[in-house]
Amino acid sequence: MLNKKIIEKVIEAALSSGGDFAEVFIEDKKGIGINMISGKIENIMSGRDYGIGIRIFKNFNSVYAYTNKSDELTLIETAKKASKALLASKDIKDIVINDTKYDNKHIIKINPNEIPTKKKIEAMKRAYLSAKEFDEIISQVTVNYQDYNQKIAIANSEGLYIEDERTRGRLAIGAVATKNGEMQSGSSAPGAHKGFELIEDLDIEWYGREAARIAKTMVNADYSPSGKMPVIINNGFGGVIFHEACGHGLEATSVAKGNSVFADKINQKVASEIVTAVDDGTLENEWGSSNIDDEGNPTQKNILIENGILKGYMIDKLNGRRMKMKATGSSRRQSYKYSPTSRMTNTYIANGESNFQDIISNTEKGLFAKYMGGGSVNPATGEFNFAVMEGYLVENGEVKKPVRGATLIGKGSDILKKIDMVGDNLSFGQGMCGSSSGSVPANVGQPTIRVSEITVGGRE
Amino acid sequence: MRDFNELKTKIFNRAKEVGIEDAEIYYSQGRDLNIKVFQKEIDGYKLAEAEGLALRGKHSGEMGYSYTEKVDDTSVEFLVENLIENAKNIDREDKEEIFEGAKEYREVNNFNSSLEKIEEMEKINFVKNLEKESLNIDDRIKSIQDCVYGDDFSETIISNTKGLNLKDKSNLAYAYVGVVAKEGKDIQSGFAYKVTNDFSELNYKDIAKEAVEEAISMLGAKSIKSGKYPIVLRNNASADILQAFTSIFSAERVQKNLSLLKDKLHKKIVSEKITLTDDPFMEKGYASSAFDSEGVPTKEKNIIEKGVLKTYLHNLKTSSSDGIDSTGNASRSSYKSSIGISPTNMYIKPGDKKLDDLISGIEKGLIITDVQGLHAGLNPISGDFSLSAQGFLIEKGVTKYPVNQITISGNFLQMLSKVEEVGEDLRFALPSSAYIGSPSLVIENLDIAGE
Repeated sequence: MLNKKIIEKVIEAALSSGGDFAEVFIEDKKGIGINMISGKIENIMSGRDYGIGIRIFKNFNSVYAYTNKSDELTLIETAKKASKALLASKDIKDIVINDTKYDNKHIIKINPNEIPTKKKIEAMKRAYLSAKEFDEIISQVTVNYQDYNQKIAIANSEGLYIEDERTRGRLAIGAVATKNGEMQSGSSAPGAHKGFELIEDLDIEWYGREAARIAKTMVNADYSPSGKMPVIINNGFGGVIFHEACGHGLEATSVAKGNSVFADKINQKVASEIVTAVDDGTLENEWGSSNIDDEGNPTQKNILIENGILKGYMIDKLNGRRMKMKATGSSRRQSYKYSPTSRMTNTYIANGESNFQDIISNTEKGLFAKYMGGGSVNPATGEFNFAVMEGYLVENGEVKKPVRGATLIGKGSDILKKIDMVGDNLSFGQGMCGSSSGSVPANVGQPTIRVSEITVGGRE
Repeated sequence: MRDFNELKTKIFNRAKEVGIEDAEIYYSQGRDLNIKVFQKEIDGYKLAEAEGLALRGKHSGEMGYSYTEKVDDTSVEFLVENLIENAKNIDREDKEEIFEGAKEYREVNNFNSSLEKIEEMEKINFVKNLEKESLNIDDRIKSIQDCVYGDDFSETIISNTKGLNLKDKSNLAYAYVGVVAKEGKDIQSGFAYKVTNDFSELNYKDIAKEAVEEAISMLGAKSIKSGKYPIVLRNNASADILQAFTSIFSAERVQKNLSLLKDKLHKKIVSEKITLTDDPFMEKGYASSAFDSEGVPTKEKNIIEKGVLKTYLHNLKTSSSDGIDSTGNASRSSYKSSIGISPTNMYIKPGDKKLDDLISGIEKGLIITDVQGLHAGLNPISGDFSLSAQGFLIEKGVTKYPVNQITISGNFLQMLSKVEEVGEDLRFALPSSAYIGSPSLVIENLDIAGE
């Protein structure tokens, strides 16, 4: 992607003021985004992101610089300027980088850049029609499609040179139901680390109808009750609870500086013993997967919690230095504009032994969160919040009437201990996770679980 | 600049050759500095120079778009090919046009040259002092989550084949600190920031004090019983909620049946205590500009006047659909996005009461000082929100003890209909493509979920 001799010179320049590690990240990404409202194509934007990021370490300190220019002069200037920020003494090294090869785990069958826009729009129209025609209560449907192909190369002063290619696609359907002038919405948004085969193999109509069904259910729903109660969180995107409530606190970004409630807790019990949690960037063609992370380490399966005991964190190279622990293939960034740091990939609670029906029928009174919305967390206090997109009351072991507008709040460390049933129906949902190294695609996942008590914020 | 003009001519010429009429370039370039300090050392330092160029133009009657970050001759063909392929597939009914420019634009200055002259050492010392001060004020502050200084400069050029040529440049500096307070098992965090393009206005003592006070004041916080409570919504929390609902004022959203303000024009939608203004010429307004992203001159206007909805926010396309003039609110968050709609400096006009007076009028209620989960617990289509919140219990007009692990829930328009008092303390949220502000508001009641 860039002449290796130039890369070597840039790394040498980056180390010219005493850095002990330097890295070059090259990105060339082409993609398209298409918006449809009411079945009509409103906007299409396609383009190319291109740039180079240079990162330098000296002990625990790091410097990051980036530019869109790829000529030798600009790159060496940028590297020198960045190295000066370390304010350290001179130290010249000769750098030689060597290709690292590996087996591609995430085969792309159809490069979406080569598919005519018309075919992408046909898929969007099918999504639109299936949602719009679901019921006459559906007043509006939006469909967004995106795909991209990101080529990256990473080289560093340890002699590494490695390339990867990430191709991802996503179809997002939003339906609005209107009743007596009041609007409620529902959505579904499948995505994967796949080419256009994602769309060809997808049951588009099911996702369209599902978005519409949620909107219709919610416009006919009463407001959720408030207060502490047992909450059953469905499989798939329900895994956002672990992602927000605990996952962020297990990233080295917050652990290394002691800003996480999970710091210094390795081999201690942090969760109920039926909880095992994993972050696995190797899962074939999943939304959050890639062959290597964004500092060139192979991705791996990281056991975070095993039978309730904290086993590991997600660690990047820089925070690994501070923690005296090895990087775990977890370093990610949105683009060359961000210095990478430890992030989640595909994070999930592993299957347990209860089945879905047992969990429902064992619950006297509570809330069933069928689909979750997004959420956020304060890693320092562990306080999280997230929205329930489609909720139901559970009474006497049965799912009863739908309720809207519920938010779940609590502290991650408390919730983990209060998980008292784990189902056997693990599945995943796709999300975009925002943090200090930008917005990255991340899968959340879990089987259906029950938490014995969470504060539900509703309106009744 | 000579290179840029040459490239522009090449792009416009090539566009004309391949049948693109009315082409426009949107180019932005900038530099970015970010310094992070941890335990007295520079823990992170980011330095960037970046640019990007977007092309839009009419082909077969529809507007096509494309962009690149490789701003050189090799991208000309890529830009026009993508534009044409995209234009061919547009089939919406309302049409987008390229603007030929206005006779006059007001003078707006968002660039402070003195900021560009601040020595790097001064910035580093500032952020080191911010960390030191934050740790020194109170020994219950045990660690610092983030301690950052940053500044950036950006320049945008809009230039088209109809003769429009506009240039805008701006810079700003910001600093923020997040602190963690611990007492026994109790952990609370506090955060404070300041944004300005005048370096002398950055005072590390003020920022540290605000963050520390927020964290310390929350120590010992507990939940309260669920129920309806009278609420003082402090300025920062109110501004954050308003910011999350700005899309409801977009005429595009209204025309596409995606806004709860559809069919509400000239109707009373909220309390008459509420006047909501969009002022693109505000002094120190970080979204101030003489023209919008289509090159249309911006205008000052009330969106809500004494509770009555006076206008939606328009760009050229939506205003022409409604048969009116654009309100000058076309926006592009970057060269990667197409023309949308956004307010400029939009705020609820302050009243005349001090925050203490608002609190002293409450017999039993809550002051909400922070809300979380705005991107998830709030639905701009329905107006419903249910947000994680913290604050203080008020009894007999006095704050009693800190409260957290609660949610506040309601509907945006219903909440603004129940506004009883408006404070004098206008405050703005962190700037994004818009700059949104609110004073503290007294609300008759909201649903609180807790114990």
